[in-house]
Amino acid sequence: MFYREAGQFKTTYRGDMTVFPILQDRIGIIVILVVAFSIPLFSSNFMLHAIMIPFLIFALAAIGLNILTGYTGLLSLGTGGFMGVGAYACYKLATVFPEVHILIWVVVSGFASAAVGILFGLPSLRIKGFYLAVATLASQFFLSWCFIRIPWLVNYNVSNAIEVPRRTLFGVHVTGPEATPQARYLVVLTIVVVMTWLASNLVRGRIGRMWMAVRDMDIAAELMGIKLLNTKLLAFAVSSFYCGVAGAMLVFLYYGSAEATAFSINQSFAVLSMVIIGGLGSLLGSFMGAALIFMLPIMLPQLMAAMGLPIQSATAEHISFMIIGALIVFFLIVEPHGLARLWQIAKQKLRVWPYPY
Amino acid sequence: MLCVKPYNWACKIFIIPFWEMWELPDIFVQTLWEGLVGGTLYSLIALGFVLVFKASGVFNFAQGIMVVFAALSLVGLHAIGVPAFLALALAAVIMLVLAISVERIVLRPLVNQPDIILFMATFGLTYFLIGFGELIFGGDPKLMITKQLYIPTGTYSIDFAGGRVELQKLDITAMVVASTMVAVLAVFFSKTRIGRALRAVADSHKAALSVGISLNQIWVIVWFAAGLVALVTGIMWGARSEVSFALEIIALKALPVLILGGFTSIPGAIVGGLIIGIGEKVGEIYWGPLFGRGIESWLAYMIALIFLLFRPQGLFGEKIIERV
Amino acid sequence: MRAPDDTEIKAGQTLLSVEGVSLSFGGVKAIRNVSFDIKKGEIRAIIGPNGAGKTSMLNQITFKGVKRKKMRPHDAATGGIARTFQNVALFKSMTTLDNIMAGRTLRMNKNLFWQLLRFGPAEREEIEHRRKVEEIIDFLEIQHIRRVPVGRLPYGLQKRVELGRALAMEPELLLLDEPMAGMNLEEKEDMCRYVIDVNNHYGTTIALIEHDMGVVMDLANRVVVLDYGQKIADGTPDEVKANKAVIDAYLGVAH
Repeated sequence: MFYREAGQFKTTYRGDMTVFPILQDRIGIIVILVVAFSIPLFSSNFMLHAIMIPFLIFALAAIGLNILTGYTGLLSLGTGGFMGVGAYACYKLATVFPEVHILIWVVVSGFASAAVGILFGLPSLRIKGFYLAVATLASQFFLSWCFIRIPWLVNYNVSNAIEVPRRTLFGVHVTGPEATPQARYLVVLTIVVVMTWLASNLVRGRIGRMWMAVRDMDIAAELMGIKLLNTKLLAFAVSSFYCGVAGAMLVFLYYGSAEATAFSINQSFAVLSMVIIGGLGSLLGSFMGAALIFMLPIMLPQLMAAMGLPIQSATAEHISFMIIGALIVFFLIVEPHGLARLWQIAKQKLRVWPYPY
Repeated sequence: MLCVKPYNWACKIFIIPFWEMWELPDIFVQTLWEGLVGGTLYSLIALGFVLVFKASGVFNFAQGIMVVFAALSLVGLHAIGVPAFLALALAAVIMLVLAISVERIVLRPLVNQPDIILFMATFGLTYFLIGFGELIFGGDPKLMITKQLYIPTGTYSIDFAGGRVELQKLDITAMVVASTMVAVLAVFFSKTRIGRALRAVADSHKAALSVGISLNQIWVIVWFAAGLVALVTGIMWGARSEVSFALEIIALKALPVLILGGFTSIPGAIVGGLIIGIGEKVGEIYWGPLFGRGIESWLAYMIALIFLLFRPQGLFGEKIIERV
Repeated sequence: MRAPDDTEIKAGQTLLSVEGVSLSFGGVKAIRNVSFDIKKGEIRAIIGPNGAGKTSMLNQITFKGVKRKKMRPHDAATGGIARTFQNVALFKSMTTLDNIMAGRTLRMNKNLFWQLLRFGPAEREEIEHRRKVEEIIDFLEIQHIRRVPVGRLPYGLQKRVELGRALAMEPELLLLDEPMAGMNLEEKEDMCRYVIDVNNHYGTTIALIEHDMGVVMDLANRVVVLDYGQKIADGTPDEVKANKAVIDAYLGVAH
């Protein structure tokens, strides 16, 4: 009813190429951003720390994996490793050069991750599909091993873990034990919003089209003059960059300290399931998938309790695993493009409401 | 002692390990044996992958969790008082039920979808089985009912080159069972009507359908066969260590095995498994200390990766030809 | 621009020549020592019975007076060759617009940095190329499917989009591999019209592989006939039609 595009005509290509061509969508996104940035004013610390911050960070990791798997069609099981590279690089940089601001290092650590990503992406020229998935598994296990076995990475800490140093921004603690959830949330939100915006620019332009062309039909793409290796490596680099920044934020702005197990293969699987459920090749889907996967185990006990069926948290975790698994299969059967596509369909229905089409 | 200073690192990598192998042959043989046994188990898991991949083109990510699930069912049934061999039969029935449900719920609606979608479906299946297994059996490791199944335990000690090589009876049993199973499967697929149908399906779904082969039936059969392989793997592996969900991650080692052997070759899976098993054991014992141990966790993948760069289709795979 | 007529073509400049190309798959000789040329501005048809090696021929073609032993796909694209495929090779999940825009990839050069920002240069470039692409969309009359993922389009339209994608590369030589295969009469007529228009309007040289004799005889300036990987005739449609070897190859010959 309120969601009509009638009368909104585009007279320039520029206008036609915007992310949100429909006025209502533009208002919607502004409202969402305003709400997102003002959440710290009225929400509890628990909500910010336990839900919003990790949700945003995982959404960023999911965007990273989506660039590689969803847009470029290169299946990766090594996300956790690349996130770890970001985290450890950030820790090394922040402790070796403490005078440079920590948030700069959070972003720069993405480049370390990108470099590692390129290295493990090199085999992608010769190998494809599942074979490449095994190559990314190699990177995952190798990197996991490095995190455990190379004490230099954690400055020879006895705990063999990253211990996040205290750092401030504009006089407010943003990392370390004194940082409030509010401050950390705003930092995370800003980084995620900016990086999402950049990613959306990228996937809509020439480079995004190159990625998708390689995904859909690599031989034809080559005949368009697209260099396969460069395109794939670029996808690996950008994807790992996003994962790396997400990993650095995970440790510095969420966990506060982390051992190598934080970047194990299970982390890779979790992010992959977010991407599948959210929708391959959709940035919005990355957020939806992250929200669902991350929040399900937290929300489930409360939901069950509300229905008069209190369950233990361990049971809730097992049930949410089952639900996630079932949802993955369900989405693949019903709508392979995941939540994002369902959302599109819902919007389309709204647009033409009350008529069927 | 052997190494001159300037060439120290090269010497440590290229000379000393071999010198150690030569000097202490009993340890070397022991290492080879350990690798061989580990490799047999990798081969078994890879075999489950190959069965499913050949017949349905599905890259069955859930094979690892199926191993865990089968072993847990067996142990779980025995724990509630079912006699061991009845529990074994029931566990097989459970794998049959699993095969039928997978075919009905997952494969049938996804027929003719791209490979990656099917792979992700089995990824979802893995998640589901992890949750389901932990919900029913609990997440803590369990002991395999080795005695009750009359699997021999204990060791043979053999004097060898001035030392001693110890062979676990369990491991010998595992190898015998594994080879028997491979032989049975090979006969089944080459001599029986179902085996022929299966090979037809592997070549082309559509062509097989058009000559009246029931795809659904074939899929149930191969998934059941993969389930049985999983059960055997689960028993053997469980008897060597314990039955836990950690096995699911170890089972991923079957992937490098598949890369070496090719996704569709049963002999490839066996040989690949043995190469990976021996390679990573020898690597760990002789080169591991140089890197601070634990290289077992990734060595198999690296071997596979390097191998891939030179022979992308695997040891026994056919050359990949792409057509537009 | 106007397409040259037959006499002009005979005298015309050679755009591409194929000299002594052979190709074998294992023991099977797909092409045996075939030579022919393509002149600038003409529509050149390559015909032959099934399995005569036509597509293999196309896969092997070299270009532009520059002698090359083997051409990498990327070199072909930078060198100005575009092609369509026998079984449509579109980017199935991308929209028509994106597919054709992808054809302009080589001509777009703003780097990662500007792509990320999408302000200024990258946006201007995008708009400039969008304008070109819209011209092609208008030319092929596919405005209504601009935003539809091509995987959902009927076969005939997919072929048209594929032609559009090839045109977006502004090629000097356009290789069409059975552009009319699997089409109904109406779609074939449309496609013929587009092929002629492309030749007339853009002056693009076209090499065409086709089964439909009627189409070939009407469209082509010159025809080369292959059979069992060997060239058996080369000339104008009328010459080829009268050639004994061609008739034998197509109608069979009593042994």
